[in-house]
Amino acid sequence: MKNLLLSSSLVVLMLTGCKFGHYGELIKTTAGTDYPKSLFGDNFNSFLFKTNISVYNKNFSGLLVTKQLSANDYRVIFTTELGMKMFDFEFKDTAFTLHYCVPQFNKPKLLKVIQKDIETLLMSNISNKRQTHYEDKDGLYRVQKLEFPKTENYYFTEKSSAQLTKIECAKKRIKNTTFTLSNYQNNFPDSILIQHHDIKLKIELNLLKK
Amino acid sequence: MKRILVIVLFFISVFSFAQVPAGYKPVKDTTAFKQKMEAQSKLINTLESDFTQEKYLSVMSEKIISKGHFHFKKINMLRWEYNDPYKYLIAINKNKMYIKDNGKLSKYDINSNKMFKSINEMMVNTVQGNLLNNKDYKAKFYENDKFYLLELTPILKGAKDFLKVIQLYINKVDYAVDKVKMIEPSDDYTSIDFSNRKTNQAIADEKFIIK
Repeated sequence: MKNLLLSSSLVVLMLTGCKFGHYGELIKTTAGTDYPKSLFGDNFNSFLFKTNISVYNKNFSGLLVTKQLSANDYRVIFTTELGMKMFDFEFKDTAFTLHYCVPQFNKPKLLKVIQKDIETLLMSNISNKRQTHYEDKDGLYRVQKLEFPKTENYYFTEKSSAQLTKIECAKKRIKNTTFTLSNYQNNFPDSILIQHHDIKLKIELNLLKK
Repeated sequence: MKRILVIVLFFISVFSFAQVPAGYKPVKDTTAFKQKMEAQSKLINTLESDFTQEKYLSVMSEKIISKGHFHFKKINMLRWEYNDPYKYLIAINKNKMYIKDNGKLSKYDINSNKMFKSINEMMVNTVQGNLLNNKDYKAKFYENDKFYLLELTPILKGAKDFLKVIQLYINKVDYAVDKVKMIEPSDDYTSIDFSNRKTNQAIADEKFIIK
């Protein structure tokens, strides 16, 4: 029993350590004033991803396409493999427009979370946010913290490759979402995983075409 | 009064004319066409074909193109498989539906889910060209030298929200469906072209059991 209690406490400690103590280890630097550069702001190209959205016990798979229409205007559409449109979002400056949505996604809380995730991924409208520069304790990553009205986002760029490999969204220094960007090809990640820690939501994007 | 009636009739006739797709004229004897379609459909026991699916989204500069192959066996067995640019398989075997996505297999009971039931009906009927018997759609029949064009407008409210019309292009040589186009209320569409069609060749039942 004592052992069980001890190991449970250890697990709790490790988990909170991962989520909370994480940012305390960052070292403040004065390097740079530049903001993280959007991966999608690339000559108005469109990006096509094979996509999987797992929300609680439901799973939606399909194709997600993003298109930059003008400097700060992005359209993001999710369809099933068979071609049925599931949602159609537009992000223009700071405005969000829901062009279309099937009933399965038409739930205010779910829509809001997915909208925020895509907004974070598009990284548009971030250059007016208050920014602080850090690096990790091993000096391998450059970390930029941007302050939003209710949250703060941490952008981790690997120094050796200059690739953005992780974005973490936190609220009062407690991480609630991690974006993992990996398998870079031609300066763009082939795999993007959006994992929520406070709700059962996971979005996996695998690049098919750029 | 008479003048108003003439104007109204004029607009009705113009409107009706505008509804006929360009290059097509209405089929005069729709009963004969339906009988012929049904007779041809009864002759088909198995069917397989390549397909090319195009998704047109008005805001995108390019269409999303996916390619694959399907197998069908009477009465209710279908294997619909995308190979390019991704692997995705959906198979229907009587009351079971299998989805294999990225190596991960999911099995469903078709009757347990209204959406799966309608996917099943839509896919099997599309492949067989049987949609003209479906009471959930209002059918219009057109033709040109090469094709019959069957336009199906959904009647049910739920379907109308995401589907404006389904167009089936049926070739006049063997009454096979060469192309299906599903147009959404926004005029974005999905079209599927069939090629390398083979009918009544032996297909083992195992093809429709996914492991």
